Amino acid sequence: MERNARTRGTPLRFSFPLYPVVGMSRAVLRQYIEGNDPITSEPLMNEVIGALTAPLTEKEKHPTTVRKPRHPRLLATDTAENLHRQFIENGWTDGLPIVLPTEARVAEMLTGTDHPADEIVGRMIITTHQEKMEYTVEKVAAIAVMAGARPEHFPVILALAASQEPSMPSSTTSWGRMMIVNGPIRNEIGMNCGTGALSPFNLANAVIGRAWTLMSINFAEARAGENFMATFGHNTNYNNMCCGENEELSAYEPFHVQRGFRADESVVSLFRGWNVLNFGIGSAKEMAHVISTFGVMYPAVTFVVDPLVAKNLRAEGFKTKRDACRWIVENSRVPVGHYFEGEMQAGMAAALAKQGIEPFASWAKLPKEALIAPRRSADDINFIVVGGETNPMWITTDFAYTQSVSIDNWRPKAGLRRDPKPLRMPAPVTCRDGMCGIPEVAVAKADKPEPVDAD
Amino acid sequence: MEQSSKVSVLDPRGQPSGVFGRRLDAQSKPSDILNPATQPSSDVKPITMAPRLNSLDGKTVYLVETGFGGSFEFMQELQDWFSRNMPSVKTLIRHKRGTMFTDDPDLWREIKSSGGCAAILGVGG
Repeated sequence: MERNARTRGTPLRFSFPLYPVVGMSRAVLRQYIEGNDPITSEPLMNEVIGALTAPLTEKEKHPTTVRKPRHPRLLATDTAENLHRQFIENGWTDGLPIVLPTEARVAEMLTGTDHPADEIVGRMIITTHQEKMEYTVEKVAAIAVMAGARPEHFPVILALAASQEPSMPSSTTSWGRMMIVNGPIRNEIGMNCGTGALSPFNLANAVIGRAWTLMSINFAEARAGENFMATFGHNTNYNNMCCGENEELSAYEPFHVQRGFRADESVVSLFRGWNVLNFGIGSAKEMAHVISTFGVMYPAVTFVVDPLVAKNLRAEGFKTKRDACRWIVENSRVPVGHYFEGEMQAGMAAALAKQGIEPFASWAKLPKEALIAPRRSADDINFIVVGGETNPMWITTDFAYTQSVSIDNWRPKAGLRRDPKPLRMPAPVTCRDGMCGIPEVAVAKADKPEPVDAD
Repeated sequence: MEQSSKVSVLDPRGQPSGVFGRRLDAQSKPSDILNPATQPSSDVKPITMAPRLNSLDGKTVYLVETGFGGSFEFMQELQDWFSRNMPSVKTLIRHKRGTMFTDDPDLWREIKSSGGCAAILGVGG
């Protein structure tokens, strides 16, 4: 933080109490204040008083911005063994072996798009306030090579880069990530959307998801303990739950169509949250029950559902995903007293209520037993259809949708640059005749909830 | 590729852009922090610090809590510390409006116009 302020030419004075602060008792906070700054080992309050009263230094009187140096295009030549060591020791990998981005390999990767190598794709940084780091098509190609991708995967990886979202945004709360690919490219590059789609059985799913994190490490400069402060980190970041939506078996329109894209467009959609909470089996009623039982930092919920669940929801009477979302919002109400008892709500929603910010201010005035809908609109809830119909189950995440990015903008006009014999892992064995799965007539009509029409 | 032969590889790191992120605008939705398209960014210009006070005796110090969990309680303890150790200092706790990610120009104006001599902002989450 202090370095960032200096870089900006804003030489603020910082002092650091011990950490963490959230959830600590008043007695502990008092000890923090009466104790030392853990960075300098000086008494904290001496520093604070000094920060307010010590005369400005010459540097503080005449601040200048400090620019980071540009990196050379190529590293110094070395043996492959030494370069692998250099990549690992510099923190440029995810800890797993990489493919070295030689000029030849990067040049081959660049055949996966028509865009010029020196075109700037975007800027990225894992914090919200530091200097953003810029990257070109060639830089993204180097990342794609490192991840083990082939040129056919490159348009998807470029779309991820164009999102300018790092897969590992810095927060002490440890963000998790999910990315879903929709449209024809899923099948063209052999992505797995069916059985085991979220498991390590598919090259495209693996390397595309991995590339997002490698670009977050190298473009967005993620460095643990320096600017990446997630206390646990998040295991999803190894490949960011990368898979395709199972459009072929879904009873509903694809996710990207919900977001305004045509069905024949290829699009990657990004999600961000903390938890994959449970697995559930059952109707919308059970989904509403599950999400009413956990706290709300942001109101988002994304259900990853097997295609059988989507079919069941259709059979329950929900004509669209949005119909189901509306019903779940209305039927996952919780007592307002219970809502504000949560640590998160006490710290954040209650503070917003005190400021008069709605709906928190109105909620805070209600009797404790009054029911409120913490997920306030159908937009807070998403359904993604993934899986191979081996179990009519769903998993609940508190992931929020962030954005969708066109992949087709990065495709070569002549078509995807595929290898003569595209590299594929064994595809999951699936039902060939379409007879697997629960027939719609088997759904118990007695459980059918009434869809809510009002939006 | 021979292990002993030398190879040339690209530096995978991004390049500095001169563009910085900044606090969300006061009216931004909290969820705007999730999307770079809705996160404000700008070039930066050096800002000189305000002159320091000779002493805090008899001065008013604003304790601004940013909204991260625990920061209100931290500021209450800080206020207690001033009461015990520097009773001549008047402290006022203010909550920065919106979430921890949003700007609060009204509060900065209030502090400047209402006799605030200094401000301590904290704490990060």
